[in-house]
Amino acid sequence: MPLFVKARSFLRNLFLSHRVEVDLDQEVHSHLGLLTEENIRAGMSPEEAQRAARIELGGIEQVKEQVREAGLGNWLHSVVSDCRYGLRQLRKNPGATAVMVFTLALAIGATTAIFSVVYGVLLRPLPYTDANRIMAVFEVSSEGHRSHLADPNFDDFRDQNRSFQAIAKYNDDVVSVSGTSQPTRTTIAGVSPEFLKVFGVQPVLGRDFSASDARKGASPTVLVSYGYWRQHLESGQDLPQLHLKIAGALYSVIGVLPPEFRFPKDVDLWLPTDLGGESQSRTSHNYLAVGRLRDGVTVRQANGDISAIARRIHETSSEQGEYLLKDGIVLPLQDSITGEARPALLILLGAVGFLLLVACANVANLLLAQASVRERELAIRSALGAARGRLIRQFLTEAFLLSLVGGGLGVLGALAGVTGLIALAPVNLPRLDSVSVNIPVLLFALLLSTAVAAGLGAFTAIRATSGDLREGLEEGGRGQAGSQGSQRVGRILVAAQIAITLVLVVGAGLLGRSLLKVLEVNPGFRVDRIVTMDVSLPWMEDPQAKASQGIFYSNLIDRLKQIPGVRKVGAVSNLPMEGGLPDGMFFLMTQNEIPNTDAGFAALLQQKERLGNADFGVATDGYFQVLGIPLIRGRLFDEHDGPDSPHVAVISESLARDRWPNQDPIGHTIEFGNMDGDLRLLTIVGIVGDIHDYGLDAPPRPTVYVNLFQRPRAAITVTMLSDADTGSVTSAARGILQDLDPEIPTRFRTFTQVYSASLGSRRFNVILIGSFGITALLLATAGVFGVMAYSVSRRTREIGVRVALGAGSRDVLRMILNQGLRTIFIGVAMGIAGSLALTRTVESLLFGVTATDPLTFGGVTLLLVGAALLACFIPARRATKVDPLVALRYE
Amino acid sequence: MSPEPTSLLQGTLDLLILKSLIAGEMHGLGISRRIQQITGGTFVVKPGSLFPALHRMEEEGWISSFWGESENNRRAKYYRLCKAGLKQLEVETERWGRISWAIAQALEVS
Repeated sequence: MPLFVKARSFLRNLFLSHRVEVDLDQEVHSHLGLLTEENIRAGMSPEEAQRAARIELGGIEQVKEQVREAGLGNWLHSVVSDCRYGLRQLRKNPGATAVMVFTLALAIGATTAIFSVVYGVLLRPLPYTDANRIMAVFEVSSEGHRSHLADPNFDDFRDQNRSFQAIAKYNDDVVSVSGTSQPTRTTIAGVSPEFLKVFGVQPVLGRDFSASDARKGASPTVLVSYGYWRQHLESGQDLPQLHLKIAGALYSVIGVLPPEFRFPKDVDLWLPTDLGGESQSRTSHNYLAVGRLRDGVTVRQANGDISAIARRIHETSSEQGEYLLKDGIVLPLQDSITGEARPALLILLGAVGFLLLVACANVANLLLAQASVRERELAIRSALGAARGRLIRQFLTEAFLLSLVGGGLGVLGALAGVTGLIALAPVNLPRLDSVSVNIPVLLFALLLSTAVAAGLGAFTAIRATSGDLREGLEEGGRGQAGSQGSQRVGRILVAAQIAITLVLVVGAGLLGRSLLKVLEVNPGFRVDRIVTMDVSLPWMEDPQAKASQGIFYSNLIDRLKQIPGVRKVGAVSNLPMEGGLPDGMFFLMTQNEIPNTDAGFAALLQQKERLGNADFGVATDGYFQVLGIPLIRGRLFDEHDGPDSPHVAVISESLARDRWPNQDPIGHTIEFGNMDGDLRLLTIVGIVGDIHDYGLDAPPRPTVYVNLFQRPRAAITVTMLSDADTGSVTSAARGILQDLDPEIPTRFRTFTQVYSASLGSRRFNVILIGSFGITALLLATAGVFGVMAYSVSRRTREIGVRVALGAGSRDVLRMILNQGLRTIFIGVAMGIAGSLALTRTVESLLFGVTATDPLTFGGVTLLLVGAALLACFIPARRATKVDPLVALRYE
Repeated sequence: MSPEPTSLLQGTLDLLILKSLIAGEMHGLGISRRIQQITGGTFVVKPGSLFPALHRMEEEGWISSFWGESENNRRAKYYRLCKAGLKQLEVETERWGRISWAIAQALEVS
């Protein structure tokens, strides 16, 4: 059977190759013998006969090679022999090989590590069924920003849309949970009943929420995460027995969710919203929303649908004003989670791609240099019957060997690199837990290595095998002329390297300068020696209960002041640099102007001169002292400002300036009840300095601070200024809190930690792009050095002749440096042009510098030219040392 | 499995080799001379084309080879036609007939 015969030939060619070879050799020789005999019979002399036979045969080795090429499975065989030969070549130059493998490993490893972050954060689908059908739904504010949803608006979206098969609202919070072995600060989510349907998730144990669980006044129920159930509920199977005390109320556990389900981020407990009733306000933006599209509905259709509902609300609502939504928007949940991280991550990927290019250029240069040494070998092989394709394949094989070994080592490096990246990554980078070196990342690495191999191999092969190889056999002479072309290519590569490096280093420089500029900003507060302590009491509506929480905090603060070494203690609703304070609209009014109906307030909204806009903070006088926020005028809160005395407020300098220009705000009264439900007027008693609450790179926001002891709230952060070490303060404070209430968990941090976390993204980008830039700089310098050194060694004879004819060492130096300078100049010019075009992409990450910052451009150019010149100088010096006698005798 | 048609030029060489082997087993030079003879000297097959073709056809299972003695007691590799080769010869012959007819037709149309 032909198939059987084929298989047999294939295996024979593969495994009995020696016998096949001998057979072939004998056959060709016997043919030659037969031909000779024939010629002798035709009357030729034996010598003549042999010669004619050889001519007719056309070269024994060529015929054999042609037969081999036709053989089945031979390609495989020749690949093996190519590999063997390639390995021998690579071993012959262990230094160069090690450098190339290391360079490739570094570049492929770095690219793979960055790609694994990009993949995990941006590309990897969310871990839900048909995750691309899950959408985030937002209101669009009057300023055009995405914003949270108000209850009645969400209800309209839910009831009127035709696009979603399930839609749910949710919010999250950190609260104290007890009822387990130890009280914990746990992230909880309030969700509406369809929440799990949106994600297509079912509890692994127990049941999902029903509509009745979410009704006002329903008995409180809770779903728990798998991890929480394992860790804190001892994996109890008997759910009716399980109860949790969440923020002071008792909840029955009704279900356990699957291990992989954690949405929103870090949530362990899901509770129904609205057990206490819904808000009626269309301007209280309390919820986020998610929905699952109906089959066949596109994102665009859903957008049109939601947008129409939102605009209808905008037109018909009685609550006009800047806090009413203007529009609605629907976008894939994944985009909404990762949208903010996208630009920076893509920039990182681009940067590491540049590094890869610089590295490849170095390797290409080394390969070219080796190829030109091998010109003779190539010529011999081609004379012995190797086709050009076969030689190209040899180069490709070698490039593949290099890249695959480099890529393999790179992946090993990436494994470590990814761990490092995760540790280094800023806390606000979403989906970090889905970053790992997984199958798609490995495929990427393989693909990348293959692409690098194909590029490098094809490049060197085409460079090395073009032209008439047979010339290589001719002795001498060609040594210089032939390499002229490959040297020019080498210089072009180096110029490109310099250009790319310049772009990369300029980018790093701009980001670095931005970081420095950010650090120069005076935050408006002190950072060091402050210990912070997060405490959450149960959320209370009842004024009496709230007042008792105020007393609790007052006691706590008084006792904390007693800790040895603690100098000042304060408390605030939200620490600076942690996402800022909530903002809202306040009214300028006096006691007798307070309307007593909603309609009255609605009418006030039309009087623009009465409106003000500010962030709302709850603090104690100690807070300003601990953070060193200066009192500019008036006074801070003091012991006379009790719960029953007139409520007071302290405002920030920028609010005073903007809202009361040319006036003294002290003594004015405002109404800011929509923030905490307390309609009592606030009398402004002091003005304090501005602080950069949203991060150093964001401008300070106008802020109203109210007194914690007059306007108590459930969750606060205590700040302690202390001379003692953090550990002793922490343990003492923990003891005091436990003494006051053992059921309240807490979290301690230093304010320095909080502060430096806020610089995390910036630092991350600077460190990464900076190290890519430095690596590229080193590689490019090595590239310049390599090409110049090679050129000098190739021109030894020429230099010798020049010296013999009277050229001084200065002339030689100038000649070599000139040659290098031209390359450097071209590279720098291209690099500056490239940077001008590309730095625009990092504009969004810059602070205090423009994308064309002359100082950065100038400095980086100088640095690069300096490094490159140094790299030229060493070979140039060596050129001046050429001894004409030695040089001319050489070869 | 029906034999696959080969490309025109290669097919022609295959056809000639198969045809010459109809007469009986032959070594490479013999095949080469036989082709020269049956084509009236039009086709001279060089070893560089002949041997790759022979080896390929052997791997296809159309012909088989063995070492034998030439008329002058010289060791030579002989080739003989296999069943599959006979079948391939029919296919190639039929195909060639079609092609030559088609080309003749084409040339007649002026």
